[in-house]
Amino acid sequence: MSTFQECCWWLAFVMASIVAQALAPGLDALVVGILLLLQERNYKTLAWLLPIFIILQEGMGTRPFGGVLLWYLAVIASFKIGRWLFEVGNFVFIFLLSTCLGGAYFGLAWLLAPLQQTPAFDMNAMRDISLLQAVYMPLAWRILTLLRPGDRNDVSE
Amino acid sequence: MTFRRLFLLAGTLFILLLGVYSWNQRTQALDTITTNVGLEAAGGILSGLRAVQDAVADIWSNYFALVDVRQENLSLKERVRDLEARLLAQGEALAELRRLRQLLQMPTDQAWRPVGARVLSGRLGPNGVLDSITINRGYATGGRPGTPLVTHLGLVGRVLRASAHNATALLLTDPSSRIAVLAQESRSSGILIGQGPGRDLEVSFMERGTDVAAGEILITSGLDGKFPKGIPVARVLSVAPSNYSQFLAIQAEPLVDLRHLEEVLMLEPTGVSVPNLPVGPPPVFVGPPAPGRAEPSVAPDGATSGPRLQPSR
Repeated sequence: MSTFQECCWWLAFVMASIVAQALAPGLDALVVGILLLLQERNYKTLAWLLPIFIILQEGMGTRPFGGVLLWYLAVIASFKIGRWLFEVGNFVFIFLLSTCLGGAYFGLAWLLAPLQQTPAFDMNAMRDISLLQAVYMPLAWRILTLLRPGDRNDVSE
Repeated sequence: MTFRRLFLLAGTLFILLLGVYSWNQRTQALDTITTNVGLEAAGGILSGLRAVQDAVADIWSNYFALVDVRQENLSLKERVRDLEARLLAQGEALAELRRLRQLLQMPTDQAWRPVGARVLSGRLGPNGVLDSITINRGYATGGRPGTPLVTHLGLVGRVLRASAHNATALLLTDPSSRIAVLAQESRSSGILIGQGPGRDLEVSFMERGTDVAAGEILITSGLDGKFPKGIPVARVLSVAPSNYSQFLAIQAEPLVDLRHLEEVLMLEPTGVSVPNLPVGPPPVFVGPPAPGRAEPSVAPDGATSGPRLQPSR
């Protein structure tokens, strides 16, 4: 895929993700892009796309800066740890990772609520969003791997 | 990578994060950058998509959905007649209102200018934890942080963060929302506090013994300086004495359906200060003389009249 095609693909992905986020409040649809790039070991694209994702998410949100940065670091760290144990192109790996990340999403929100002076942390609402996040990730990942042109999926180490 | 290196890397990252977080808390530089860039980009994308959605909807409604137009035309004509009749009936009431306003020397509030804005979406992304909406006006187009948002039914909230052409507005149902309100009939004041999306609002600090009743409308009192006085906000659902404080425990519901907002009005401050006091000198006080300055009047026969002190016993 040429650089132009790559940029167009990611632009379309960002637009679709923002629409998905508008439809499902609290959902992080951009995180699937990070998983795809980590899976492809496409660190060059990740280097310029990750700051864009962070700026977009922090800008759209209502919390002070920092939450999304921690969340994406948790995603990258979880992926790296999972890579030691599983084959990253496998759907089961993505499913397990999504489950863990759903928990991490809840944990981070709970941790940051008092730090960022969120007046009332709604446990039930956050649990629902975390569940939605955990379900969304493997489904979106599956669809995006099918839509992504070329055979760039990572071969396990 | 050895465990030691991993540990060092994690530690360095953690310290770096804490440093960035603390620096941003103090300066809010990163918040400003992300709001200006991220919100603007997301708002731009959503505005574009909304425009496409509108265009498709227009094409559909103008060319394809003409089946019920005749029926709708008839019902609309009937409604116009009904509204004309109502307008005639309300004309006298309107004239009376004008007269009463003049009588009370109540100036029309020119301190706020209504500006229309479109709702682009509800709260967005993992960082959108507060109950909020995204609108297509920013600080360059009338939506500075703090600007009140209303609809024809009542108050919606206020702008929380703004980029040049888009803004995030905090809804009155969010737990961090505090609005100074006044009961419309009993004139008791209190603070309206959000309890989260889909939940009833709570009114705090409304004293016991006031005549607030279920069904009464709460309006903004303007005492907080954030909202103009007199905007309807909520309807009282229940009133009971609180078990924990000397105030009443009041539940209320918003007048506006905050889940299905499409357009809102923003009340942009015009900078014109409207005096609260009536214009002109105070009226001359006419009444009995003050007791200390009372002088007995002398009658022609020498007897005194007027106020006398009773002898103490």
